[in-house]
Amino acid sequence: MRSLDRQRWLLTASVVAAVLVVAGALILFAGADPLVGLQGLVEGVSSSPYRVGEVLVGAVPIGIVALTLIPALRAGVFSVGAEGQIIVGAITATGAVFAIDQLFGGAAPSVVLWPVGLLAGAAGGGAMALLPAFLAVRWRVNEILSTLLLNYLAAGFLGWTLRTWLATPEETATPQSAKLPEAAALPALIPGTRAHWGILLVIVIAVLVFLWNRSAASTRLTVFATRPKLALRLGATRSRTVYSTMLVSGLGAGVVGWIQVAGVNDRLLNSVSGGVGFSGIAVALLGGLAPIGIVLAALFFSALAAGAVGMQSATGTVPASIAEVIKGVLLIGVACIAAYQRNPAAVVRPVGTKDAADEPVVLSAEPPGTAGDHETTIGTLAEAENEGGRP
Amino acid sequence: MTVELWVAILAGTLALAAPLVFAGIGEGFVERAGRINLGIEGMMIMGALAGVWGASLGGPLVGLLAGIAVGLVMAVAMNLVVYRLHANEIVVGLGVTMLGLGLSTYLFQLWVPSGQTNVTVPTVPRTGLGPLADIPVIGPVLFGQSPLVYLAALLLLVAWAVMRFTRFGLAVQAVGTDPASAALRGVRVERTGASALLIGGALAGLGGAVITIGTIGSFTPDITAGRGYIALAIVIMGRSRPVGIALGALLFAFLQSFALLSQSTALTLPSEVYQSIPYLVTLVVLVITSRRQLRRLYRSTKVSST
Repeated sequence: MRSLDRQRWLLTASVVAAVLVVAGALILFAGADPLVGLQGLVEGVSSSPYRVGEVLVGAVPIGIVALTLIPALRAGVFSVGAEGQIIVGAITATGAVFAIDQLFGGAAPSVVLWPVGLLAGAAGGGAMALLPAFLAVRWRVNEILSTLLLNYLAAGFLGWTLRTWLATPEETATPQSAKLPEAAALPALIPGTRAHWGILLVIVIAVLVFLWNRSAASTRLTVFATRPKLALRLGATRSRTVYSTMLVSGLGAGVVGWIQVAGVNDRLLNSVSGGVGFSGIAVALLGGLAPIGIVLAALFFSALAAGAVGMQSATGTVPASIAEVIKGVLLIGVACIAAYQRNPAAVVRPVGTKDAADEPVVLSAEPPGTAGDHETTIGTLAEAENEGGRP
Repeated sequence: MTVELWVAILAGTLALAAPLVFAGIGEGFVERAGRINLGIEGMMIMGALAGVWGASLGGPLVGLLAGIAVGLVMAVAMNLVVYRLHANEIVVGLGVTMLGLGLSTYLFQLWVPSGQTNVTVPTVPRTGLGPLADIPVIGPVLFGQSPLVYLAALLLLVAWAVMRFTRFGLAVQAVGTDPASAALRGVRVERTGASALLIGGALAGLGGAVITIGTIGSFTPDITAGRGYIALAIVIMGRSRPVGIALGALLFAFLQSFALLSQSTALTLPSEVYQSIPYLVTLVVLVITSRRQLRRLYRSTKVSST
């Protein structure tokens, strides 16, 4: 165990070193001075209250997506569909807000429009998540692939929406919806910035997840990921687990869709999801599937994006897309570190130890005796590989 | 719809299928070895950038080699992380994709700063196969293609033969089906898996390069538009078999080609519908094949337990 700890610290140090080396090399390659770049990065996140606000605003969607992904990732359900769920949530939220506002003759109060947007967004995102969950439960369609493909379908639907039924009547350069009614917009939490009340929602969700983490339901998911048959006796069937965990992530992503429309842009844009879905997974893992870790990681990711813009303007040559490269390196690094945790979450466990989850659940078809034998073999095999898989 | 349009659509189908076939064959090896490479999208887009860069320096052949090299390097790195450091391959795969998408954009923006005209390279010219290309309809569709399409077809045959007749192919399948038994029989599990991943990476890079220097001639960020994921879906649909991969690639490419070319005709559907159809159909086919595989699984389990 001690050597495991040492290896983990060594790995963490080398991941940090790798990120710094990659970032430095990229900046040097762009013909700029890394120190000037670093200065730009720091200025980009802290030089004015507005910039700080931008970091907070950017952390909200990533944080919510990552927090609501915890149950799915803990259960080993790998949903990559947050992008599409955000898009659908944003569309339903925008549509519902406009519809309700019309019902009130264009003067609906905020008390009505906020919950409507929130609920409609959550419903849209949730519905979008239930589809791949259904496919995964009913026909074992790989949820990674189905959610990835659905992301493209959602993007197509958004493009069509913005040209047709939700398009603004004004002439605009980029397709967008009309501006939301004033009352539907989330007010600024910090004056002079775009930091809106949605930030408080992150804290609420983080507390809820924190409490949930200590519940029996959370433990059942962990059991489900490692020993599905035992989980079955605890009441965590495969279908219930997949449906509930994907629904939670879908609800969260849908809410993000509403927040991005009502809090940040005041209208529906093509860029509403903007890569948040993938960052969300990275942040959830970087934060170790723990609420506090995730909130910090989300702030870090957001600061990285804002800082990269600062770096671009400070150096003049370094493109802001450097942030994406660093995020990728970080995600790979996190995967390395996670493999050396004592109890890695199901999704970051090395390959070869998830065999038990892949067998078909056909309990009724098997005589009781063989079923028991079968389970022990798989259990010991998985354990043997677990031991052998570690250097 | 005229005959000429259909000829154009079908000819376009083969051209668009080529990158998917390359990437799909590579991923086929990876999945036969019991692994999955979710970094394929990142490898393809890096290959696409390297392809244009190489072609602008020393012609199309250099471009293709540059694409292969980049894919190979990324696969070596991925192999190192997943099988030496035991990181989870799905997370690493997503990381590689993120890295590839980001790095390709970064390098491209350094190479061609915004406001400057994009670098274009001449695409690989179509080479008619002599008199065969003059046959009406079939000629231009099958025999008037770029050499890359013929290369893709050849590679399908080679992949099939390697899987079927070579020691390596057998080892890959053994490792994928039952690594423990394979190891007992003297197959080097890690090395076989690594070779499969390297083949997958090299072919993904090549597939990316084929997108840019095969048909378009220039790079733009996110040019692969999920083609890597499509390749993954095709391999799962085709059960990692060359024929299945080829059929899947042709189906997706046909829909894509149809979407590109029929927008201008009398069919007045929104353009987004055309753009979404390939992804939708891929999803539907994925559902159908998953369902069939599930049924087969149930059947075999029932037989073995009674």
